[in-house]
Amino acid sequence: MNVPPLIKTAGITKSFPGVLANDHIDFDLFPGEVHTLLGENGAGKTTLMNILYGLYQPDEGHIEVCGQKTRIRSPYDSLKLGIGMVHQHFALIPNLSVLENLVLGFEGGFILNMKDAEKKLKRISEEYGQAIDPHELIQNLSVGERQRTEIIKTLFRGSEALILDEPTSVLTPIEAEELFQTITTLKNAGKGVVLITHKLNEALAISDRISILSLGRKIAELNGDELRSMDEKDATEKILNIMFGGKPIPECSLVEKTISDQVVLKLEDVEVMNSRGVVGLNKVSFEIRGGEIFGIAGVDGNGQKSLCEAIGGQRELVSGRIRFRGEDISRKSVSKRHEMGISYITDDRMNEGCVLDLSLAENAILRGYCQPPYSRFNIIDNTVVDRFANKLIMDFDVKATGPYVRTGTLSGGNIQKFILARGLSTEPGLIICSKPTYGLDARTVNYIQELLLEESKQGTSVLLITSEMDELINCSDRIGVLFNGKIMAILDKCDATPEKIGKLMLGIEE
Amino acid sequence: MKKIEFNDIAPAFYSVLSIVFALITGAVILIFIGKNPLLYFGQLFFQGMFSPLGLVESIIKMAPLLIISAGLLACFSAGLWNIGVEGQFLIGAVLAGWSAPTLASLLPYPIYLLSVAALGAMGGMFWILLPAVLKARYDMNEIITTMMMNWVAINLVTWLVKGPINDPTSVPAQTALIPMEHRLSMIPFTSIHIGLIVGIICLFIMHYVIRKTTLGYEFRVLLSNKRAAFHSGMNVARITIWGLLISGGFAGLAGVSDVLAIKGLFQGDWNPAYGMTAIPLVFLARFNGWAVVPLAFFFSFLSVGGEFVARDQGVPIFFVHILEGLTLLFFAASEYIEKRRAF
Repeated sequence: MNVPPLIKTAGITKSFPGVLANDHIDFDLFPGEVHTLLGENGAGKTTLMNILYGLYQPDEGHIEVCGQKTRIRSPYDSLKLGIGMVHQHFALIPNLSVLENLVLGFEGGFILNMKDAEKKLKRISEEYGQAIDPHELIQNLSVGERQRTEIIKTLFRGSEALILDEPTSVLTPIEAEELFQTITTLKNAGKGVVLITHKLNEALAISDRISILSLGRKIAELNGDELRSMDEKDATEKILNIMFGGKPIPECSLVEKTISDQVVLKLEDVEVMNSRGVVGLNKVSFEIRGGEIFGIAGVDGNGQKSLCEAIGGQRELVSGRIRFRGEDISRKSVSKRHEMGISYITDDRMNEGCVLDLSLAENAILRGYCQPPYSRFNIIDNTVVDRFANKLIMDFDVKATGPYVRTGTLSGGNIQKFILARGLSTEPGLIICSKPTYGLDARTVNYIQELLLEESKQGTSVLLITSEMDELINCSDRIGVLFNGKIMAILDKCDATPEKIGKLMLGIEE
Repeated sequence: MKKIEFNDIAPAFYSVLSIVFALITGAVILIFIGKNPLLYFGQLFFQGMFSPLGLVESIIKMAPLLIISAGLLACFSAGLWNIGVEGQFLIGAVLAGWSAPTLASLLPYPIYLLSVAALGAMGGMFWILLPAVLKARYDMNEIITTMMMNWVAINLVTWLVKGPINDPTSVPAQTALIPMEHRLSMIPFTSIHIGLIVGIICLFIMHYVIRKTTLGYEFRVLLSNKRAAFHSGMNVARITIWGLLISGGFAGLAGVSDVLAIKGLFQGDWNPAYGMTAIPLVFLARFNGWAVVPLAFFFSFLSVGGEFVARDQGVPIFFVHILEGLTLLFFAASEYIEKRRAF
């Protein structure tokens, strides 16, 4: 190609204490192409993107933008160079309008010129076919619309290269389809798109090139058209082979399991307020029996968090009752419920699930620190704690140099493994699992799903909240669909289809 | 034998470095106001550290700083900012001044000492109770409430010694004098009172509590991630109240120690404002009990030496506060540099 690449990294190397996150990575992105990054958790994708975004400085190597060697010292630099990033967690202010969010940080002068901004937005909307109401508040938008706003924001700021970090993980299937159309439009308009994903089928469907990272190194670059000309199964296999070096991914075993008659968890007309003081759960009732995996489907923000916290004990009930093994736990504290055998594994790993500034050992006892053997007479027994943390690290193959590493230095996937390890270590009677595989690589996803199935076979009940349709249908015995804080329907595994669930998720009743 | 790496001693290195920079900047300021820095620092060090009188005086002055720091270790490592040490100190001191003369004549010496100490500590705790409850219950900023409680304390104790607990036999507004035999005893063969030992013990107990106990663990989790603390079922309100009460209690105890050992009574306008020294001290020590001891010595030497030099060279005593302030400023800068290094 004669055009210089929009972005080119040459020999980028970045190390953190104990890990080489990026090891001489060469990566480039040309105008009008979709370049996908695939890789296991901790492979270095996020680090590489954060370097492009100006959050980290590389130890070695350099970056070229449009053929010019340059240094990106901050996100502001990155934006000025035409690199726009859409994170997994959107950086929008909920109580401002779309337009106000767009001009944020680029107000230009003392007096806001909203008229010009609106005109510009209109032009962009038309050019890229992205309809959005400029005056709607962000908080009234669906997740898909918020993501669209984020993409428009990057275009608004004149970005030529867009980096999308796991964009479909928060979307419903229909929204994901729309996103792919958007990406195609952007591509045809000459923009370059970097797609970070764990979903092979997405990567296969849309990429022009696929780069695979492993342990900080780029180990392969594949041509999208070539892969698409192959049989889908072969293509998938080829990628998995490269990613995991031929190590077979365990198939989900479909051994029959028996669900006991004993009701482990029972919700009776549970009502709670969510953190914004609005009704979070509206008269929710269901029960989970021993050994059953009860899946919860729903678009994010339809009461999933309220449901988890109501059962975990973090959120007070307004009315209704929750029974665990027949005992009323509606007024019991979090730690009491934990002692009784309820383990809540949150989806907010970084903010709730662990303390990033403390070591893995200290995080290992976040729940159990008050009980022997971790502490006796209020004195913490460090040898026991270290041994325990080490066991969690070993058993779950967490990539960490030992129990003393600061948790914040681990990659997101490894933190999740560690939190899961901790949550399952107490042999709970009920596991509340919120998006357990969110953002994890294919092998870890399989491993975790297998683990949950294994737990359920041993009689543990699981409440599985997930936005992954495959996971939901494969793992659950029954599925409840949450919409607006209400259970729309409870489906049996045999008559749950993605279409049916997808409709219910949007509040459409049969 | 483990090799010592820079990262292990970095905290100490940065603290010492900020002190050195503060002294250098202090020297520059001295030149600007027409004083000879060599002469100033020469005398400061000689009289504060190397003369027997100065040395003993500096060591004695460490006691309240150590005791207060012990309490601050608890609340700071929970991310709770007790800025009202001064007020809690005064309440502890006034309670000691008021109760000691009476209790001394009623109780045997050891029990008398313990009861006065307990009373003072409870006074300090009482004084921070309101800010603690407001923080725990309504998340009201404790920096503001504890600081306001300072002013209330300062005025309250002045009023108390002028009226209700005034010693009618003396002219100034003060409590009755505690007889020498009822004062705090000395460390054998020295003229240093046992407050120093109490301070060191308190400090190491708190150092240990923060690192080894469940309460200390709760403090550290609260400091770094309140949401995780709540999520994992910790009683955040209880931990908040304990963190603040402990710091208030030790501040009250420091007040008792100073009244029983040095002052012998409580005077209306007496306010040594140790809080303003102890707070930066604990930061410089990075919440490490062991590191507090040498730093407390340094700060107390500064104020003792500064007093000597002020008389001889006409540099106001407040100049040592400037040095303290500069130390903290450079410390903040060093923290910034250290954070940058980490990336």
